[in-house]
Amino acid sequence: MFKQSIAVTMLNLRSIPQRLGLSLATIFSIALVVAVLMGFLAMANGFRATVAGAGEDDIAVFLRAGSQAELNSGLSRDDVRLIEEGPGIAAAADGTPIVSGELYVIVDGIKRSSQTEANLPLRGVSMQAPQLRAGFEIVEGRMFAPGSGELVVGASVLREFQGFELGDPVRLGTNTWTVVGIFSTGGSLAESEIWTDIGVLQNLYQRGSGVQSVRARLTSPEAIEAMRTFVADEPRLNLDVSSEQEYFASSAGGTSDLIMYLGWPLAIAMAIGALAGAWNTMYSSVDTRTREIATLRAIGFSGGAAFVGTMVESMMLAAIGGLLGAGVSYLMFNGISASTLGSGFTQVVFSFSVTPRAVINGVALAMIVGFVGGFIPAIRAARVPLLSVHNG
Amino acid sequence: MNDATLIRKGLFRKKLRAILLMVSIMIAFLIFGALGAFYTVFTAGVDVAAANRLITVNRINFTVSMPFAYWGRVQQVDGVENVSHASWFGGYYQEPRNFVQSFAVDPESYLAAYPELVMPDEQRAAFLNTRTCLAVGDDLATQYAWSLGDRIPLLSNIWQKTDGSSSWEFDICAIFDGDEAAVPANYVMFHYEYYNEALAFNSNQLGWMIVNTTDPSINDRVGREIDALFANSSAETETSTEAAFSRAFLEQYGNIALVLVLVVGAAFATILMIVGTTMVMAINERTKEIAVMKTLGFNEGRIFRMVLSESILLSLIGGLIGLGLASLLVAGAAAALAGFLPGLTMPMSVVLTALALMLGLGIITGIIPAINATRIRIVEALGKN
Amino acid sequence: MTDSAPLYTLTDLSKSYTRGRETIKIFEQLDMTITSGEFIAIMGPSGSGKTTLLNLLGGIDTPSSGTVDFEGSRVDNLSQGKLAAWRARHVGFIFQFYNLMPTLTAAQNVELPLLLTKLSGKERKNRVLTALDIVGIADRAGHRPRQLSGGQQQRVAIARAIVADPEVLLCDEPTGDLDRNSADEILGTLQELNKDLNKTIIMVTHDPAAAKYARRELFLDKGRFVEKGDHT
Repeated sequence: MFKQSIAVTMLNLRSIPQRLGLSLATIFSIALVVAVLMGFLAMANGFRATVAGAGEDDIAVFLRAGSQAELNSGLSRDDVRLIEEGPGIAAAADGTPIVSGELYVIVDGIKRSSQTEANLPLRGVSMQAPQLRAGFEIVEGRMFAPGSGELVVGASVLREFQGFELGDPVRLGTNTWTVVGIFSTGGSLAESEIWTDIGVLQNLYQRGSGVQSVRARLTSPEAIEAMRTFVADEPRLNLDVSSEQEYFASSAGGTSDLIMYLGWPLAIAMAIGALAGAWNTMYSSVDTRTREIATLRAIGFSGGAAFVGTMVESMMLAAIGGLLGAGVSYLMFNGISASTLGSGFTQVVFSFSVTPRAVINGVALAMIVGFVGGFIPAIRAARVPLLSVHNG
Repeated sequence: MNDATLIRKGLFRKKLRAILLMVSIMIAFLIFGALGAFYTVFTAGVDVAAANRLITVNRINFTVSMPFAYWGRVQQVDGVENVSHASWFGGYYQEPRNFVQSFAVDPESYLAAYPELVMPDEQRAAFLNTRTCLAVGDDLATQYAWSLGDRIPLLSNIWQKTDGSSSWEFDICAIFDGDEAAVPANYVMFHYEYYNEALAFNSNQLGWMIVNTTDPSINDRVGREIDALFANSSAETETSTEAAFSRAFLEQYGNIALVLVLVVGAAFATILMIVGTTMVMAINERTKEIAVMKTLGFNEGRIFRMVLSESILLSLIGGLIGLGLASLLVAGAAAALAGFLPGLTMPMSVVLTALALMLGLGIITGIIPAINATRIRIVEALGKN
Repeated sequence: MTDSAPLYTLTDLSKSYTRGRETIKIFEQLDMTITSGEFIAIMGPSGSGKTTLLNLLGGIDTPSSGTVDFEGSRVDNLSQGKLAAWRARHVGFIFQFYNLMPTLTAAQNVELPLLLTKLSGKERKNRVLTALDIVGIADRAGHRPRQLSGGQQQRVAIARAIVADPEVLLCDEPTGDLDRNSADEILGTLQELNKDLNKTIIMVTHDPAAAKYARRELFLDKGRFVEKGDHT
């Protein structure tokens, strides 16, 4: 039966040029379905990768209890002092605890792509902040001087927004600042931010000595438990303590989920449409070759061989469509930069990311469409009545 | 029997094929209808904006507050019929996950600014006169099963009271609704004074102001004058029309319209290809039959019309079913998404556009088969014995 | 009784077609007169142009040169629209393989030509029943072609050809696909149509036995007519 199947399959495939229009239509429709699915996957993965990033497990993030996000949180200077004295806080070489009280406000920037305004975070940080961001390095220029109106700008901001070049004067609010450095953190969330000295920000925005969040480096990942206990026992502290990893993971949620809740149902709906199309194509294929198939059967080829021949034709069209869609998606989507609203009302800049896993998902979807679409027609081919040899 | 019968028979000659094509078309219009409805409602903020309403926010960003004193000063600007203010409370009920959109407002001027908010007269009076009153939007009242007379504590994500807690107690004395489905009723309002006097920090500030001008034609002038009042101060303002403000906010999400158009475009390109090639094939199969019709005396024009009608009929059936399904989907999701997307329905604009697309699809997929049918030469077709 | 007024006059008729670079002449300078009420059988070897001649008489093909006159006026130079209308009014076709619409019932197939008239639905139904009666297949009115035998399908085809009451019936090998018995029945019906309803019938056939049913036999060979015999 194997040899028969191969023979029938080759006959089937060789006759595709007679049905070229319909076959091409099927390939393209499946390719489109795969491309749409992979577009959404690339979006969601890219967004998630940026936001979840490489959150470290030995950095603790402190927010006011129940606030869930920095913007909603508020801590006093006393809170920061108490944290500095807590257990498990790592110290720099000179003994100062690696702790950074931070606060951010939302400012406007002009997106290069749309020339419209969009929100950006202007974060006030202490001088220890670079030690609390994995992979932080100044790629151009220098860090801002404390107490000055200087800014350092994340590489993503530079990419997506205009007017933040090195040396540019930037007007935010009522003040003019100067960009003195560009920093990179390997593509994580921090790169979508603009930093300055926290003292300057507190002053300008009348926050007194209050901050929104505190980041601290721990002596070890396990030390976070001791810190949690410490905070729980201390009546003056009303805080939520999480590792940076946990904090990022919870922030990624929203938008990434939204993209997936939209993307998968859409892709499946389109897949059903493509499936109807594939079925139609295979049905027509069998139909137009009824006499041919009957002749083969009259000669002695088995019904099973006819079944296999049709299934292979269907899966092959689907595979070509799937690979085409995946290839086009990779070329078109991978790496393109985009930005959208993150959980803190600011723009998150991310890159579309076409992962190998997404490609597998896409091609798998194509194969399923090819399989289901070809199944009934293949059975029909196996059961073509021999008398059809006389069909005109 | 008549031409309609012939058209119907022609279309359903191979039932399975007709059904498969209809499924493809149905899916495309299901996607179009659902996405169209969601997008229209998503951007409705721009539609329900009043032409003579302006929003004034801190120039830095709408999340930064402005001094309370600004309210009195804006009232003096010529052309301002009414000015109100509101501030974001960041509220939740019992647990942080029970998010409640809450605004601290000046009740009288706020209701004047938004005449589309309706409630019974006695509730309106109660809201104006009771300091601890919480006016609750209809959708929210349903969601949390609140009723008039309930005493509700609302907690704030952001603000703290002098006594250290973040919980304000309110009495529900009014339930309001919008006069149209698209006007949101998924938030609560309370007296600014009651909220402000307990604030531990950031007191005597407001979030944004709502300005009603006497006529839309003076919007620009009024806006500029307001902003001029506060130029070069520590809190400069930016005034824009409500529509522009909503649009700007939506644009932050990115070019959603582009993504939707691409997806819908891909879906339609797909069915165009599939249905188009299949219809050409289907007519090809009937070459002999069409030749016989010609011998009987059916002229080319009539045959052209009949073949084109088949495509249009196919498109209409598939499209109407798809649109119907989309409407069901939207109706079902409306209740679940009331908090996020108020007034979710299938807009007439989407329905009309869909009908036009169905017609267009039918014509495009039918034109080549129809032309082919007219070009069939009787002698050649019948000669294939 | 035959009417002696000429129904068809073919003058100097030539037909050739080109395949690639070859030009193949079917016939040239053919002259022919057909009077109303005749029953003519045209025979000849394959390729002699019998079917082509039929096509020209029926207005579904146009001559390379020469004229085809019907009831005194030219039909070979009419526009496709006018030709279609002329066919609907004056000509009924009967083919070797019946050419019925597989998705329609026998009655619906017969009704097809009437859709080109202005008759009401009721009037059409009456005409259909009459036609089915004449050919003797009224009991199968609701059947689809695949449910009918070859002979029965040909009857339906004949009913379709006469339902609009055309003067002329053009038959291309009407019994070519039938067994002897069915063939005789069909040919008998054609004779009746010619005798009782005065239909002018031109039948192309290669079967000498079938030709005997006609009243005049013409032999077409190498583009020339040869009269076989007149059986009145």
